[in-house]
Amino acid sequence: MSSRVVVLGVGLHPFGRHPDKSIGEMARVAGLAALKDAGVEYKDVQAGFCAHVNQGVGAGLRTFGQLGMTGIPVTNIELACASSSRAAMLSADAIANGLYDIVMVIGVEKMQRGLLEGVGGKEFGYNDAMGINLMPAIYAMWAQRHMHVHGTKHEHFAKVSEKAHRNGALNPNAQYQKAISLEDVLASRMIADPITLYECSPTTDGASAVILASEAAARKHTNAPVFLDTWVGGTPEYHRGEADQAEGPNAVLAQRAYEAAGLGPEDVDVCQVHDAFSPGEVFLAEELGFCPEGEGGPFVWEGNTEIDGRIPINTDGGLLSRGHPIGATGGAMITELTTQLRGQAGQRQVPDAKTALLHNAGIGGVNVMVLKR
Amino acid sequence: MSTESSVEKPPQRVAIKGASLRLGEGEEALEGSRCPDCGDTFYPPRTVCLSCYHEGLDRVTLSRRGTLHTFTIARMSLPGAFVKAPYVIAQVQLPEGVIIPTVLDDVDPDSVQIGMQLEMVVEKAKSDAEGNDVMAFKFRPLKGDAR
Repeated sequence: MSSRVVVLGVGLHPFGRHPDKSIGEMARVAGLAALKDAGVEYKDVQAGFCAHVNQGVGAGLRTFGQLGMTGIPVTNIELACASSSRAAMLSADAIANGLYDIVMVIGVEKMQRGLLEGVGGKEFGYNDAMGINLMPAIYAMWAQRHMHVHGTKHEHFAKVSEKAHRNGALNPNAQYQKAISLEDVLASRMIADPITLYECSPTTDGASAVILASEAAARKHTNAPVFLDTWVGGTPEYHRGEADQAEGPNAVLAQRAYEAAGLGPEDVDVCQVHDAFSPGEVFLAEELGFCPEGEGGPFVWEGNTEIDGRIPINTDGGLLSRGHPIGATGGAMITELTTQLRGQAGQRQVPDAKTALLHNAGIGGVNVMVLKR
Repeated sequence: MSTESSVEKPPQRVAIKGASLRLGEGEEALEGSRCPDCGDTFYPPRTVCLSCYHEGLDRVTLSRRGTLHTFTIARMSLPGAFVKAPYVIAQVQLPEGVIIPTVLDDVDPDSVQIGMQLEMVVEKAKSDAEGNDVMAFKFRPLKGDAR
């Protein structure tokens, strides 16, 4: 029997620099917040997924163990920057198919300052030795191509970061809660042309927790459920003669999600996209169907993705300003969209948001979700 | 060969790990694989064809010339890499239809443009623990190109 899946509870440990905190401490804060939000106790949780990338052996026990030791199966999940949305998908699969009623996802990461290392794995081959596996360079090369083919300007990308920081200033859980000007973004240190320092998501310490439940179980705790309506995940698709895609077929997955949810991009009220670097939002405005291909730059520039725009994107500051503790990011996206659909987003609330779209990408995979109330 | 002479032998040239680079005087080239069934070509070489799933592909020598598909100028160095900023990271499209991730050599970063003609060069990257010359490939603007 297939059940609808409800996002019953969400919680965060504030994102930022927390060098003195263990992943267990951060997971406990996020987890207890999510349990309280859901109105359930840890003993009600039947399975857990711990999403992380670089936290070593036994991270599941070190995090879930802070909440209790009830003997439930806890599984570690790694899908780079999309780990915790993939963990939520697996939880939803299990709930929808009747395996469990209540499942908890904890996403957690502690990161070092500076560039993300080990992008090519541990082999350290040609692409590492030659400095090719530079994360901002991947987005920068997509951006250069976009500028060449579509005439997109650096200012269009920079606008994404200016807007993200303005939204982050409204989010008490964001790593950066300070607005910066377009000039600040453009004048910050160049990292990989055209991407400047302020167009890169930071490295971050933080945790997110999401409690998913079957509709029947959720109805005991809430009269106004937010549904995880649709979820699709994918990996890169090969197309002869095209450059390798590191993450996945965003447009294909979005289309699949729209069809399964019975709606289209024009029905989305609020959206989270993977803006690991500022060009991400420009590309995704196109790939998720909010504007025609090639017009993402002007679309963002004209304010369409602002909180009061046609399709508000990354209302909480996104990866650029909220921060990007890679294993925790998907859970933070679910948290923001759930908060928006409940009407609890305070100063950054999108009025009467009913339908939300989530896009979370990592090296090796992409997840797209539709949430509804 | 006596032990003595092997101690004195000149450094051997070995290809850098993670690149399918064939060495040899005058015949340095990248090697890819080509599907005998559908003709699709791949770099790096692989065993299973991504277009038709044929197993067991042929080794092919790839062109030394290509065009710049896209690029960026890296202004900070990747930890552990021996190429130091600033440097140009590039994707080079070869006539066989494959795209090669690489870095550019002998070029003013600010003059780089998508579509420019490039040729492969092989250079010593470093010495390994045994004293061998570890050779890597880069691409540079094609000599005689109007640009």
